[in-house]
Amino acid sequence: MEEKKAQILEKLQKVFPEISETKNDFPYNRVDLRIEKNKIPAILFYLKDEMGYKHLVHITCVDWLEEGKFEVIFIVWSPVDKIKVFVKTFLDRNNPVMDNVDMIWRQANTYERELREMFGIQFEGLVAPKEFILEDWDDMPPMRRDFDTEAYARKRFFARPGREDARDVRQTIAERTGEEIPDFAKKYSR
Amino acid sequence: MINDKNSQKIVDIIQNFARKHSLFVLAYGTGCGAIEIPPTMTSRYDAERFGIRGAATPRQADVLLITGYLTTKTVKRVIRVYEQMQDPKYVIGFGSCTINGGMYWDSYNTIKVLDRYLPVDIYINGCMPRPEAVIEGFIKLQKKIMEGRAEGAKHYKENLEWYRANQKKVLGPTTPHIQEYNW
Repeated sequence: MEEKKAQILEKLQKVFPEISETKNDFPYNRVDLRIEKNKIPAILFYLKDEMGYKHLVHITCVDWLEEGKFEVIFIVWSPVDKIKVFVKTFLDRNNPVMDNVDMIWRQANTYERELREMFGIQFEGLVAPKEFILEDWDDMPPMRRDFDTEAYARKRFFARPGREDARDVRQTIAERTGEEIPDFAKKYSR
Repeated sequence: MINDKNSQKIVDIIQNFARKHSLFVLAYGTGCGAIEIPPTMTSRYDAERFGIRGAATPRQADVLLITGYLTTKTVKRVIRVYEQMQDPKYVIGFGSCTINGGMYWDSYNTIKVLDRYLPVDIYINGCMPRPEAVIEGFIKLQKKIMEGRAEGAKHYKENLEWYRANQKKVLGPTTPHIQEYNW
């Protein structure tokens, strides 16, 4: 398995010298690689047609708010090799535009619609209805990390009185048992 | 129909007794709570011994059981379903999500307080309520019906403007999914 994974990366690097970063030290059958965004359709076509990675597992996105980037990840799988290849690419967070890939796999259309709605990533030439899950949405895309979901919920929905003093359960436990809350936990408490 | 006050009382008692013992629950699950309904209805907890049964369509149902959180998208359909149901009709809010938002209190697309949008007769708290709690809630509803206090539908008709204003505030003024009914 290890040799096979190394072979795949070697073969891809020979055809696509633009591959900037690879990762191969996972304990299971996973291979990661990063490439610039305009090479994405080419590498996915190559993986599907030449190397037998014909199953699109998922398209997902990670919001790197501090770096100002979106990371779009395509996961493809080969039923022969039994290996998952993660193809990653960075987009500019202020102008997240990339190529549409639903001519390679038709089901990519659904994932792209979701990313368009939840992260605001624009796929050039994507033909799909405007709304996917949300109806009459008029705010920023909700899965972006700078979207304040609590403030939005307070502004939009009715709330029953009595929840204003809701506090973190860890605070209550810490007071009862005399423990101190570690700093990393304080960061996530409300 | 019957002008005599005492005869009306007797008719009410018979009517409420009959209604109490045949509660048809609309099979419409909104959140995760719908998973508690099969054990409630089947052999172990056997809600049918209290006269609680499932109904297939809104027009045949008496009870609308809101099982869990309601997204803004679902609540439009739920309001429409409620307005299609015929009298007598009752609403049960099921789980803490319908009471104050529960664990989805800061979510961007779930409503928090159900009784702003629909008239709720009984709330069953818990996350999730066990089938025993569900049956307990139904028995409370039956008691309320027998005493003639389960008047959510009447309240909804009388305060329709208030409910409509609340629904439109949250669901948007141009939402096409709520019909303007004229009873």
